[in-house]
Amino acid sequence: MRVLLAAVALVVTLGGCVSPAWDDHDYELKAQETTKTAHSLVEMARLAVQHSDDLHKPYLKTVLTDAAVDLGNVAQQFGGVQPPSDASDQVRDRTLEKVQQAEDELDSLLIQIRRGGIEQPRQAAARLEKLAGELQ
Amino acid sequence: MKKAFAVTLGILTAIGGFVDIGDLVANALVGARFGMSLAWVVVVGVVGICLFAEMSGRIAAVSGRPVFDLVRERLGPRAGVVNLGASFFVSLLTLAAEIGGASLALELATGVNYLLWVPGVAFVAWLVMWRVKFENMERVFGLLGLVLVVFAVALWALGPDWGELAGQLTSPPQAEGAPTYWYYAVALLGAAMTPYEVFFFSSGGVEEKWTREDLSVARANVFVGFPLGGLLSLAIAACAATVFLPVQAEVETLGQMMLPVGLGLGKIGLALVILGVFAATFGATLETALSCGYSISQYFGWQWGKLVRPVEAARFHTVLLVTVVLAAALILTTVDPIMVTEYSLVFSAAALPLTYLPVLMIANDPDYMGDHVNGRFTNALGTFYMVLLSVVAVAAIPLMLATKAGQ
Amino acid sequence: MRAREIHAGLHLLDRQVVRASSGRLVCKVDDLELTGDPPYVTAILAGPLALGPRIGGVPGRLMVAAAELLSPQERPEPWRIPMHLLTELGSAVEVGGDPEEPALETWTRQNIIARIPGSGTEEASREQPARHERSPAARLGAYLDKPVLDEDGTLVGNVADVRLRQDGPLLMEVQQAFTVAELIVVPHWHSRLFGYERGPGGRAPKLVSALIRGRFAAARLVAWDQVETSGPDGFRLNVPASRLAPLTDLYEPDPRRR
Repeated sequence: MRVLLAAVALVVTLGGCVSPAWDDHDYELKAQETTKTAHSLVEMARLAVQHSDDLHKPYLKTVLTDAAVDLGNVAQQFGGVQPPSDASDQVRDRTLEKVQQAEDELDSLLIQIRRGGIEQPRQAAARLEKLAGELQ
Repeated sequence: MKKAFAVTLGILTAIGGFVDIGDLVANALVGARFGMSLAWVVVVGVVGICLFAEMSGRIAAVSGRPVFDLVRERLGPRAGVVNLGASFFVSLLTLAAEIGGASLALELATGVNYLLWVPGVAFVAWLVMWRVKFENMERVFGLLGLVLVVFAVALWALGPDWGELAGQLTSPPQAEGAPTYWYYAVALLGAAMTPYEVFFFSSGGVEEKWTREDLSVARANVFVGFPLGGLLSLAIAACAATVFLPVQAEVETLGQMMLPVGLGLGKIGLALVILGVFAATFGATLETALSCGYSISQYFGWQWGKLVRPVEAARFHTVLLVTVVLAAALILTTVDPIMVTEYSLVFSAAALPLTYLPVLMIANDPDYMGDHVNGRFTNALGTFYMVLLSVVAVAAIPLMLATKAGQ
Repeated sequence: MRAREIHAGLHLLDRQVVRASSGRLVCKVDDLELTGDPPYVTAILAGPLALGPRIGGVPGRLMVAAAELLSPQERPEPWRIPMHLLTELGSAVEVGGDPEEPALETWTRQNIIARIPGSGTEEASREQPARHERSPAARLGAYLDKPVLDEDGTLVGNVADVRLRQDGPLLMEVQQAFTVAELIVVPHWHSRLFGYERGPGGRAPKLVSALIRGRFAAARLVAWDQVETSGPDGFRLNVPASRLAPLTDLYEPDPRRR
């Protein structure tokens, strides 16, 4: 029992913080991880937006809000890691910019949903698809 | 005729009752990341839960003793209290996850943040346990949970490449490492074989006063209902594998796991799946909360159950009240319910042998069972599962640490 | 007719106590009270004051300390059911009569449950009968796990279970008491036999049986008249270890083939 509790405490603490990047390679791996998660979130949003006619508004709103919040968290976590060198600075800027673009897109879609609905779902889905492609 | 009706009803209830937040999350998550390559674990888990649920149901019918009573009787007070602590902790974590799941379903239906629903869900769950008869409670939510069959319909409507799905059965995607694969295998096994299911099942048997004559009905419920519930789990995984795997999207929320149904069946399907998820998680909220009460009461020998009025089982009802409040408080800390679910699955897997070893021992003890002791085949299978579960229990937490909980 | 023999740990301790008249659950057999020499069982003990010492360690001591702190009595004693009330020993222990209600049940009912609407009407709370002071009696739970030394002081093992024989003095002229007849001694610390000591027939599954049996190949039976002294540190025997009977003497025939 005590072991279990200790394990929980350990995992929760480990899950809550981001380890520092040791070198450029490690930083690069972290950037890839961030891109991958962002890609997954954007694809998920794209699927929902593409079929937004088939989905209830509260559902669509919840799914897109979750995706936007998660994107923000991912960006914040990666942005908090100190880049080890100048070369890593470029990686940082590139990654964060792409994630930021996706976040902006989702935010504007959410505004449309709250006003009544997505105006041009097909175009929005196409934009999200392009963003997802860039996040490969 | 009446009996046929009872059997059908029991089976339908078992199907709906089999699926809870753990099965929903684990199967969708695994389907999106690993396709159908972990389907074999669901099969292993379903056979295991059938095996041990049948044993505990038989023990309850023949000797009138529920599982946790026997855990202490056979393991003694010291090992029993360790077991109680672990089982209670796992059930409480699962209860929190179920309350979170039911609240998330309400958020998806209404757009109102799930945290606002948590106190209401917890209160209504407690009210149902306080007032509603055991049988009605089990049936209503079991049958409503059956609505989750929309996953199977949606899979058919999505028209997947069946050959591709079948191909995934034997080949896991290359991108994922072996530790992650095994980590999710452990989580899926934990989802199918959660210990609270046997506490609930056997205590329900005692509560409904099963006798030897009811054994055939109980067996039919287990042997038909649980495998069909397992098929439902596989349908959830297959839906995720069809929609998410090709575009490399990972399922991280309850809303995302319902998306394939919306894509396949539109608004009606989506409404049904939200209803089904709510019924399944709310039903499981009741089951896990009662299991917390059962395990503590049965360890200490207190009067428990819903057959007597609450004043006559005051300690049992106090435990119910306290656990529901604790679990709701845990979710209200804004911890991610899906994360709580994943942890609860892995800890369940780690605690499995503690519950199942005493069941296997008592099912072989003629003092309790008379002529109804296990047969050779059941024992061979039971021994195999004990070995398997011991390995899983040892591996569960190291795997979780090594993979950073599957990341 | 031979007197009935049972294993205290296997058949009595930790079983559920049920009221024979109504089927209501009363408590668990947390411990057994012993009197006399050879000792015989006079009562079933229950509640945290009986369970705590059996759990042992810090959790057990905490349990006892909490119960003593909350008890209104000067010298709190575990809750007891006199042995003559016992009516049946099966998968549960059935008792007759009307045992008083445990304090925790009364407290939770009066302070929490009865105050919530819909809890059912409350029966008039029974007056707690005044308890007469009694000297702290010996408990069977204290025998378990104790070391056993033979005549020369070499360790034979630890007590894993106690065999009771129903041939003691009459209790309230109703039934004979269970007397301590033999100790089952196992050469490991903290061993339980999980009921697998009762013989080779019908004790499946094989793997579990083999694992447990491996642990008690060297187990011995100690008759109570072979015990020289008993105390809190364990038992001292008046015979050498080689004279003790092996555990195989206990094997029962498979009940299904009887």
